[in-house]
Order: sequence, then C-alpha cells, then structure tokens
Amino acid sequence: MTSATLVAARPRSRRSSRGLRKPLLGLAGILGFLITWQLIPTLGIIDARYLPPATTVLAQLVNEFSDLEFWRNVGRTLTTWGIGLAIATLAATAIGTVVGLVPFLRRLTHTTVEFLRPIPSVALIPLAILMFGFQMPAALLIVVYASFWQVFVQVLYGVADVDTVARDTARSFGLSRASRFRNLVLPTALPYIMTGVRLGAAVALILTVTAELLIAVPGIGRVIVFARSAGDVPTVYTYVVVAGLLGLIVNIIFRLVERRILSWHQSVRGEDVV
Amino acid sequence: MKKALTAAAFGAAVALALVGCTDSAAGPTTAPSDSDSGEVRTVRVAALPIAETGALWAAMEEGIFAEHGLEIEVVPAQGGAQAIPGLLNGDIEFAIGQPFGPFRAALADLGAPIISNYSSSLGADADKDVNAVVALNSSGIETAADLAGKRVSVNSLGAAGDVTIMKAVQDAGGDPSTIEFVEVAFPDAQAQLEAGTIDAAWVPDPFMSMVANGEGRIVIHPYQETIPELALLTNITTQKLIDEDPELVKAYAEAMAEALDWAQANPDAVRAAIVENMGIPEAAAAGITLPTFTAKLDEANVTSLAELGVEFGVLPEMPDFGKLINLQ
Repeated sequence: MTSATLVAARPRSRRSSRGLRKPLLGLAGILGFLITWQLIPTLGIIDARYLPPATTVLAQLVNEFSDLEFWRNVGRTLTTWGIGLAIATLAATAIGTVVGLVPFLRRLTHTTVEFLRPIPSVALIPLAILMFGFQMPAALLIVVYASFWQVFVQVLYGVADVDTVARDTARSFGLSRASRFRNLVLPTALPYIMTGVRLGAAVALILTVTAELLIAVPGIGRVIVFARSAGDVPTVYTYVVVAGLLGLIVNIIFRLVERRILSWHQSVRGEDVV
Repeated sequence: MKKALTAAAFGAAVALALVGCTDSAAGPTTAPSDSDSGEVRTVRVAALPIAETGALWAAMEEGIFAEHGLEIEVVPAQGGAQAIPGLLNGDIEFAIGQPFGPFRAALADLGAPIISNYSSSLGADADKDVNAVVALNSSGIETAADLAGKRVSVNSLGAAGDVTIMKAVQDAGGDPSTIEFVEVAFPDAQAQLEAGTIDAAWVPDPFMSMVANGEGRIVIHPYQETIPELALLTNITTQKLIDEDPELVKAYAEAMAEALDWAQANPDAVRAAIVENMGIPEAAAAGITLPTFTAKLDEANVTSLAELGVEFGVLPEMPDFGKLINLQ
C-alpha cells in the first residue's frame, strides 16, 4: 500500500525520465554485446575464420537488406511460423478451454499432457518427414507440436483461475452458459492466453528455423545450412543474427498487441505506474 | 503517435517480407503435372548441397534431363539416412546418397534399393582422392598407424568413412578398436582440429584442401587404401516406384547415366555449377578434386564395403543383395 501511494505521489518528470532510461539501457546492452562480440575474434580468443567480427557480419547484413531473395527467405520463414502459430493457438485455445472447464477431462488428460509436453519436437522430425515429406507441412508439425503446449497449459490455468465468488454470483444471477463464458471465463483467461501465445510465438520461431535447418524447408534456416556446407561462415552468422532479430521483432509486436488487448487489465494498467 | 509509427514500420517490414514470400513460394510448390508419357514430368530428387551434386546441377542446366522428359527438382535433404523416410512416403522419387543408407534399408526390408551408381572415388594409381583423413602438422600424425588411439571425426558414424579408416589402420598394423570416432560435420572439422577437440578428421573438398594447404596435411586417403573406385554416392529409389512406374525409373536411370557421362567429360561445367549453386569462390572450386561420375555400379566394391561394415560391427549382418541392388 505504501509503495502504491509513493508511486502515485511521484512527480511527472520522474516518469518521463524513466521512459527515456529504458530504451537507453537497452541500447547500451546491445552495444555491450556487439563490443564483446567484436573483441572475441579481434583478440584471437576464437579464430576470426570461425567467428567473424561483428562489423563483418553487420556489413553483410546491411547488404542482404537490398537483396530480394533475402526478403523472400524471411517471408518463407515467417509464413511457416505464422501458420504454425495460428494452428497451435486455435487448437490449444479450443481444446484447452473444453478440457479446462470440465474437471473430469482435466483429470483424465493431466498425466498424458505431462508425458507429451516435454517430448522435444525435434525428435519428431523423422515422423514428420515420413508423414509429409520434405515439405512445409512437415515443418508445421514440428512447429505446432512445440508451440501448442505453451498455449494449452496457459489456457488450462487461465480457465481454472475464474474467481469462485464471481462464478457463483454469475450462476445465481442466472447467466447463460454462453454469457458466463464471454463475460467471466474469457476475461479471466485472456491474460493467460496472451502470455501463452507470446511464449508460443518465440518457440514457434525457434522450431521453424530448426525445421528449415534439418528438413531443408526453404527459409533462413536453409540458407544457414547451405552457407555452412560451402564453408561460408560470415553468411551463417548473418542469418543467425537475422533469426535473432526476427525473434526480437516478434516479441515486440506481441507485447504491443498484449498491451492493446489487455489495456483494461490491471497487469497492463499497473505497468505505467510501477 | 511515435508508438503507432514504430508499429506501422514493423508492420510494413513484415508485410513486405510476406509479399515477397507469396510471390516466390508459388514457383517450387507447383504440383507435378501428372501427365501422359511424352510430356515433361517433375521428379523430386534428394541431394546434399555438396560439391558432388555439381554434376546433377550442371546436367540440369545443360538440359539433359529435359531431353528425357524429366524436370528435376533438387531437394537438399540431409544425407541418405534422412532421405529414405522421404522416399518411402513418396514425397521424393529418388535420392542420391551413400550406400550405407540402402544397406540399412535392405536389412530392415524397407524396399529402397540402389538403382545405379552416381559417383566413385578415384583409382589406386591416382595421386589424390575425393576425401582424406587430415591432421594438423603439429599433431605428429603421419601415417595410418598413427591414428590408433586418436580421436578421429567422420560426418556420420557407422558409414563408409569410419569403416574404411578402421580397415586402413588395421592394414597398417594399428589397432582399429582404439580409435575414438566422433561425429563432426565436414564444415566444422577444421575448427575442431585447431581447437584440439579432435586429432584427425575425415573430410572431402573443399575442406580437405583448406586443411592441407594450411597448417595441416593429408594422412591417408582411406578409400584408396582399402577399396579404390568405391561407390561414393548412389541413386536410390523405392521398390514400390520400380513396380508401379517402371517407365519413370527407367527414364530417370537413362537420363542420369547420360548426365553422369557428360559431367565426367565436362569437369569445367561441373565446377561452374558448384560455384553457382553453393556460392563458393571460383578459386576454391577450381581446387576441388572431383570424383569419377559414372552410373556403372561396381558391385564387388559395394560388397567389400558391406563386408567391412559387418567386420567392424557397424552392420549386424550382410544385407540381402537381391533387395539392395536393382539396377536399372
């Protein structure tokens, strides 16, 4: 309570300087990372032939930006990622809601879920190739499997988190099943779902690039494999950086979406103040 | 406002990327036209993005497959072992891979036989070969016998690399059971040698030349020492396809035989295709030792290789050659 009153009492100028400090800190972090990277090959800790300095990789990255094929590859990766994440989210939300709302189903599936969830998606690659060949659906299987659990488990928790008093109140006021779902369950579960989707988005991206690396599905992962086969180390690292940048952008977008959709929720409303 | 602008910029970037995607993805995903004989048929062939695939790329460019009514789509699958599920599932019609994939497929009765040879290592009289065990000069490893008790890398365990190395070491009087084989991808071998995590590495070109022209040397050419002119890569398909569409298999085998003969006679075109498709510098491509490209399979050599596999325990027993080889 005391902290809340203190924060509320803070003058506005403090808040805006805080707003400036955050991106500055982030920038300093990136700069520090780049300097460390630059120094490792320069000081000979790792041979520059195997870890090219940051400047070499960043220069090539800038060059790649003007290459249409680069954007196609990014597009291929994002397409697989997007479709995979969409399937996983829809399936996990639908199944998760049903399972989460029915205690019998929840108990029935609990052990199975805990068994299936830790199975590394990559272990399913031979199965994926057997089912779909060296095609995008094979990559999708890997992506959907990995990101499904991220969302599913969050949905389960979210649906189960409904306040008992609120639920009983809704019942005694005679709200219909649909109305209870829309006005009670969904608002409670939404923050959980959004968290699940954001975690799932990162996992889906990792698995998309992994699938491209291992199943030879077109995209930035396949560029990495080709460059590696040709001994072209700078290109390998350029696309590794691209994978990292995509992850960063995806995260930023999902945070923005989360803030927009959950603007009414205290976790978001509180963030400006705390 | 600022936030909205950033969001719009990100959105634009993503949209741009997505626009590019739909445009280009249309090309390779067009379904193979199931046509009458006489028209062009698209076949998907698994082949690694390695120098040896240069013959296939160059022959495609030359139009040899088109003359046989085939359009080849190269699927860059990771090695023979991974290509076999793709073959069985029917996503790819053919694969170009090491003989050990079909050996294991024959042992498991998967119905994925070798239909012809693709490339072979060089003869015993050649002063070079397509791959070698390389070591750094500082390692003190000079002969095959020196490899005993050392850590030696191969790209995949339980295949032609380790069995021929074990045989070469045994022939040189060393104890092959003391060699510790580790799996290191060809492109990573030089870095691992220099880092000291391995003592010697089995690599093809361009990695073989990179080590030999730097601070290392070629210790042995294990194929030449044990089974010269050994089948490196073979053409593999499924028994099912041979039974169901013998004409397609025949057309592929004939086109491939012609392509390989042509590639053997035109090494410059092969090197040019390597430069173009792998993006490696012309100077490096010029130094690559090319294998002998031929569709003629030397069955005696393949038998010797399988026998070595059994002798050194990487194969449980000899594969049934009736299931392993179905020459077209």
